[in-house]
Amino acid sequence: MTVSQQGVILAGIDGSDLGDAVVEHAIWISQNTQLPVTFLHTIEHSHHSEHPHHEGNLTPNIKEHLLDELSEEDHQKSKQLIAEGKVILEQAKLKAEQAGLKNSIAKQRHGTLPEALVDLENEVLMVVLGAKGEDHNGDNKGLGSQLEESIRAIHKPVFIIKQAFSEPKKLMLAYNGSPTSRKALDMIKQGTFCNQSLEIHVVSVQKNLDDAQALITDVSDVLAGSNIKVTAKAIAGEAINELTQYQQQNDIDVTAMGAFSHGQLHGFFFGSFTTRMLLESTTNFLLIR
Amino acid sequence: MLLSAKNDWLANIRGDILAGIVVALALVPEAIAFSIIAGVDPKVGLYASFAIAVIIAITGGRAGMISAATAATALLMVTLVKDYGLQYLLVATILAGVLQILAGYLNLHKFMSFVSKSVMTGFLNALAILIFMAQLPELINVTWHVYALTTMGLGIIYLFPYVPKIGQLLPSPLVNIIVLTLIVYYMGIDVRTIGDMGELPDTLPVFLWPDVPLNFETLSIIFPYSISIAIVGLLESLMTANVIDELTDTESDKKRECKGQGIANIGSGLIGGMAGCAMIGQSIINVKSGGRGRLSTMTAGVLLLILVVFLSDILSIVPMAALVAVMIMVSIGTFNWTSIKELKTNPKSASSVMIATVIVVVWTHNLAFGVFTGILIGALFMAQRLSQFMYVESYYDEDGDTRSYNVVGQIFFNSSDKFISFFDFKEAVEKVVIDVHRAHFWDITAVAALDKVVIKLRREGADVIIIGLNEASETLLDKFAVHDKPEQIEKIMGGH
Repeated sequence: MTVSQQGVILAGIDGSDLGDAVVEHAIWISQNTQLPVTFLHTIEHSHHSEHPHHEGNLTPNIKEHLLDELSEEDHQKSKQLIAEGKVILEQAKLKAEQAGLKNSIAKQRHGTLPEALVDLENEVLMVVLGAKGEDHNGDNKGLGSQLEESIRAIHKPVFIIKQAFSEPKKLMLAYNGSPTSRKALDMIKQGTFCNQSLEIHVVSVQKNLDDAQALITDVSDVLAGSNIKVTAKAIAGEAINELTQYQQQNDIDVTAMGAFSHGQLHGFFFGSFTTRMLLESTTNFLLIR
Repeated sequence: MLLSAKNDWLANIRGDILAGIVVALALVPEAIAFSIIAGVDPKVGLYASFAIAVIIAITGGRAGMISAATAATALLMVTLVKDYGLQYLLVATILAGVLQILAGYLNLHKFMSFVSKSVMTGFLNALAILIFMAQLPELINVTWHVYALTTMGLGIIYLFPYVPKIGQLLPSPLVNIIVLTLIVYYMGIDVRTIGDMGELPDTLPVFLWPDVPLNFETLSIIFPYSISIAIVGLLESLMTANVIDELTDTESDKKRECKGQGIANIGSGLIGGMAGCAMIGQSIINVKSGGRGRLSTMTAGVLLLILVVFLSDILSIVPMAALVAVMIMVSIGTFNWTSIKELKTNPKSASSVMIATVIVVVWTHNLAFGVFTGILIGALFMAQRLSQFMYVESYYDEDGDTRSYNVVGQIFFNSSDKFISFFDFKEAVEKVVIDVHRAHFWDITAVAALDKVVIKLRREGADVIIIGLNEASETLLDKFAVHDKPEQIEKIMGGH
């Protein structure tokens, strides 16, 4: 991969089962793009007291006393979470060092992951996240509760990890002509995802084959003149079925697609295509916003 | 947005429900007490507390804050109820809600930045004093039984939590109510009970449009009350939101809170409830009890209604002494006791702002007047202090018979006389140079002062030259905005 702009690869890590895979993928992307990697750990405060009092009375200067008590409790909790995060970050940095990356950086921020991503968006070129956080350890299915919000929070490509690390060999772009999938195609054209060993498939699924074929023709037009070689395929049928089938039949490791082009409300009522794809595929994802 | 809404409701289910129960139990006596302050039946305050708590749980901007019928708003209704009756109170409540929604849309919550810490302390101390004073009718001209019961109630409230195990299990204000009620009932002591104070709710509230003529006369009666209620309600709600923000280290949406309070008051008025707002004491109890989400407020509201509708017979035999004990507790908890100690250590200006706020509130029974007084006095002190940031250097150059004045600092209405006093008009010189490039003229009073100086000097026969007027008068323009521009702020702080 080559990327012309400057920025870092930001890997959001916590103590989840996928933590190692996120770190290893980030290292791999960093090696291929020559971009430095930043490991990010967020300390989330629930601010829920572990020791509520139910005596229900108001004592003199209760506000001051309660503030002292709650801030002391938060102080201890934060210190512990920071220490735990530091261990995770140290391990990630060590791994990066062993892989030959000297300039990786570890960052810790207070707040939720989406908040941290928004704050750091300007210095970031690509984000790597696990599909599930540590709250979902042991839960094989499903997506992390903050995943959608995190992806929606920023307008940078997000690499979503669902699998333990193995070097990606085949990337499938699900192309439907939308502005974001068009952006993905442009990135392919610019060689963003290309290294010698990555094979690229462009798949277009529409209700009827002619429409799908027309999109593939667009793809050829866009790529004409560049030296990027792709395997392009038009398929008629229901998008999610056909795409997941294609992933399996062709041993795809990474699915690239535009993500969350509709608003949250639309997703709430009609279900989001991106969320369903993420749920029903076993590949890793590269989501373009 | 949807996700954060989910978090507000479901992130702390167990904690919120438990805290909501504690709050509901304490809300019942308070709602009754505030009805008595306003001069209406207890059911008016109880319906109000139900409606406001339930609605604000959904519409409010501060998760975990408790709103219901309050003393602050009840105090404003007394004369309206006395002179015109309940129906006018209900329609005034609805109008107050409309005004609050309007305030939300107009971003009036931003004016809270004018409320200094001293004013806020004064507000709370005054509120505590008023709550205490409202209990006095129950404590004057009564038999010794009432004093004994009240003292006992307070003892239970403050000491019961120290009882091992059950002390942390049952809210002590509730224990106070149960124990005193049992004593009075079984010993047959003849003291006033809640049942003597007016009608308690025995049915669920029903939707009712207030029975008043909708004309200009009605509006002119209720408007002064509605505007007071709207302002005081928002003041206490936004202050409480700040307190909860601080306690929980989270942010609230103040604009949404204003609109939410408005909707809650409209809802309250439509089911026969009085106006209310956020309750500082109950909100702190909620946080202390582990409540953080909207579910705690909702639980408190719903449970309150269930409690009063099903237990109205039992409620009516609760002695007023038990209620008075709860209200004295609220008063003690609302008062900022450290502020008394700080009278010695705080700057005199801060103390006088706080005391002035308290005096005006206790005198007028209107917290808004106190807050405005506090803001005004605070602003005057601030202007006084800023005036000190100005001086004029002067030196005389014999060669050209020239007197030069070098003006540095802030010139505005309060410092313009001081500015003029630096000039020596009696000195006979050929030429006067006034260098104002390190000064700032903030208003037209400042400009008029400069004009006056120039004219006076010219009359004495001097030729006057002003240097740097453009820079100095930049601050005069209303569109002059220094925010987010460090270089502009640097100019004002360090001179040009």
